[in-house]
Amino acid sequence: MPVEALFGISEPGESQAKQICKGRSVGIDLGTTNSLVAVVKSGQPVCLRDGDSSLLPSVVHYAADGSIVVGQKARDLAALAPSDTIASVKRFMGRGPEDAEVTRELTSHRFAVPSAGDPVDPIVRFAVAGGSRAVSPMEVSAEILRVLKARAEADLGGEIDGAVITVPAYFDDAQRQATRDAGRLAGLEVMRLLNEPTAAALAYGLDKQAEGTFAVFDLGGGTFDISILKLEGGVFEVKSTGGDSALGGDDFDRAVAGHLLSAIGLPANAGGDPGVARAVLDAARAAKEALTTANETSVTVALRGGNWQGRLSRQELDGLVEPVLDRCAPPVRRAIRDAGVAVEELSGVILVGGATRMPIVRRFVADLFGKEPLADIDPDEVVALGAAVQADLLASGGRSDVVLMDVVPLSLGLEMMGGVAEKLIHRNTTVPCGAVQTFTTYADNQTAFDLHVVQGERELVSDCRSLARFKLGGIPPMTAGMARLKVTFTVDADGILSVSAREEFTGQETSIRVKPSYGLTDDEVERTIRDSFEHADDDMGARMLTVECVEADRILGATRAALVASSDLLVEGELEAITSAMEKLEAAKAATNHLAIRAAVVALDEASKEFARRRMNAALDANVRGQALDSVEKKVTSR
Amino acid sequence: MLCVHCQAVQPVDPKADFFRVFGIQTAFSLNSEDLEKRYKELTKVLHPDRFARSDPQARRASLERSVQLNEAWQTLKDPVRRAEYLLSLQGVDVGESAGLGKREKSGEHATLPVPPVLLMEVLELREALATAHAAGDAHEVEALIATVRSRLSVVMDDVAKGFAAEKPSLSVIAARLVTVRYYRRFLDEARTLWDQDDSPANARKGGHDAR
Repeated sequence: MPVEALFGISEPGESQAKQICKGRSVGIDLGTTNSLVAVVKSGQPVCLRDGDSSLLPSVVHYAADGSIVVGQKARDLAALAPSDTIASVKRFMGRGPEDAEVTRELTSHRFAVPSAGDPVDPIVRFAVAGGSRAVSPMEVSAEILRVLKARAEADLGGEIDGAVITVPAYFDDAQRQATRDAGRLAGLEVMRLLNEPTAAALAYGLDKQAEGTFAVFDLGGGTFDISILKLEGGVFEVKSTGGDSALGGDDFDRAVAGHLLSAIGLPANAGGDPGVARAVLDAARAAKEALTTANETSVTVALRGGNWQGRLSRQELDGLVEPVLDRCAPPVRRAIRDAGVAVEELSGVILVGGATRMPIVRRFVADLFGKEPLADIDPDEVVALGAAVQADLLASGGRSDVVLMDVVPLSLGLEMMGGVAEKLIHRNTTVPCGAVQTFTTYADNQTAFDLHVVQGERELVSDCRSLARFKLGGIPPMTAGMARLKVTFTVDADGILSVSAREEFTGQETSIRVKPSYGLTDDEVERTIRDSFEHADDDMGARMLTVECVEADRILGATRAALVASSDLLVEGELEAITSAMEKLEAAKAATNHLAIRAAVVALDEASKEFARRRMNAALDANVRGQALDSVEKKVTSR
Repeated sequence: MLCVHCQAVQPVDPKADFFRVFGIQTAFSLNSEDLEKRYKELTKVLHPDRFARSDPQARRASLERSVQLNEAWQTLKDPVRRAEYLLSLQGVDVGESAGLGKREKSGEHATLPVPPVLLMEVLELREALATAHAAGDAHEVEALIATVRSRLSVVMDDVAKGFAAEKPSLSVIAARLVTVRYYRRFLDEARTLWDQDDSPANARKGGHDAR
């Protein structure tokens, strides 16, 4: 069918779509520090306010009497009852207790994780309400979502039936699933989880009619995401994504808090006192925010023995923040390079996240990209606005003039002979996507294939994350290389991987559904990528060497066997030439240079070519004779 | 693609080649702007987001077509992969392609011969790269990359001419593509070294010329 014919019929029946959609759909930014809800009203997305603020602090307080407080009031209670007040719950979404152990060190001054409870519980829980209740991160998030849902229903005067909730681009499958569960607990149908930078681009693209290639620089409370997107004719194509999941505004607070602690004369861990840590961090955050507009500010730390008073200048703040901020540069460069664009080609840089309000962050971005960043839309609200737009698009059942194309964050592959990871789907490939590859047997009479699905950027399997193992058996004994195994990878629009394998001769089949980043923590995702760069040179060498050594061993083995089996076919001087080529190959292998090995393999191939041809002819002759005999026998038996 | 009567996405035709997916002629030479335009328009029509509230069959068909469309796009937009794909349609396998499509590994599968001259050339380039990198000579690294890029583009011009000929010689084109593969691998290695140097300390000053 010609392509032109398609365009005319791509207009959907909008009236039909509206019948399916009973209520209204909202966009929710469930943030580490603050959460927001937005909705599209007469074609424009708007954030819904409670009083004069659209921001709902992502803090939940569980009182001993069973009552639950969410938002600013809960934040105010944090200093009084740190363990009954849960802040930054987003860091714990989809995490197990063992993951929380690490995080607890960083946030001990905020809330406690109980060591008691069911030992086989795979979900981290918080002991709240004076220790009488244990709640999961999903339940805590659901409380925040309930408040936002109620706010939207009060504003719209009706029930909310669908929501798009945003997640960091680097959120893994477990974290996404946990976010989905929180939505369900709050009584929301989660139509889609949307990556935060993509949401921001959507808000800019539609509101500002922006076209071109944009970078979204998203520095939130706890994570840093960078995405490169191309906006053109209603198509939002994510070209690449990257980030650092342990980098955010909280790290600036910690840097300032460290400075304050040493000024007060306290140890860097505040003597292990959660109350003091809380007070210093609060003072640090307040000072940081004040210095967004002021050049100098007074600092008050509320201590039990009385208040500590001091001053902080913006220059001092910048000095403390700069080393943390520098860590944003490498992911930015990688994302730009992965997108295949030059910095000068970018049409603009979109700022997202409260931390991008800081003058030093804006200056840093301007230096890095060589242009002033865009902040026309409130960086705190832009993600929620974009989510509202996407919710509206999905609920209306397919306006075809806008489409979002997102990507796979980490490469997916299979383990090959020698422990090398063969990537079938590379990171930053547009989803949905698939790959088909044919493999063959390595050894004679191999009757099964072991398939090991891995994820990561490193070249060796031992350095990648293992996702699944499965076996395809029932293959009849054949010569090495005869069997044909066709492996298919498919990643759907939600990022879920399915793998199927089929042996072409026998038709043996097997398949499995894999969640690509299941169980990977943010930190692990990011470490996987960082490692691959730090070890890149080793890796490339190691991979090529392994590949060539496997090949060299195969050829040496085959040649040795042939020399023994068919010594009668050798002509004068041939044995010496072949043996000499074999020795050179052995020497090249020992020298561990993959190109030299390759060259020696080619030389051996050349030296033994004629011999191989004679062997092939002899085998063919024998085969023809055998077949003739075989057909005679068949005739005899069928008679 | 869509049924004219009910606007349902039709299932994937496994025999359709990637050029037919876009409704263009099966040929090496193509208009890349036109191809991208077609890709985006088809994506708008087929993307699973449009079928978020449809029945499972429609969602499945949309997923399959989108996967096929993305694969076709990845293959055809890149001249090297496009050339390899065209050869594969003729039953000529150039070997390791850049990730998509069919590939055979190890075993007795016949790969195209690699001329020793090419191996020597790449070996020398690679040694020069290692030396320049070890010496911290960024200009030399850049110069080597530029050299290989220009050699690669010369070979790709030959490939284009080869396809344009009245009777294209597949074996000649295939041999050129083997050379291309080695050049690309060299460029990958050079890029890898670049990433390695991407430490926070030198990242700041280098932000403007990141590529």
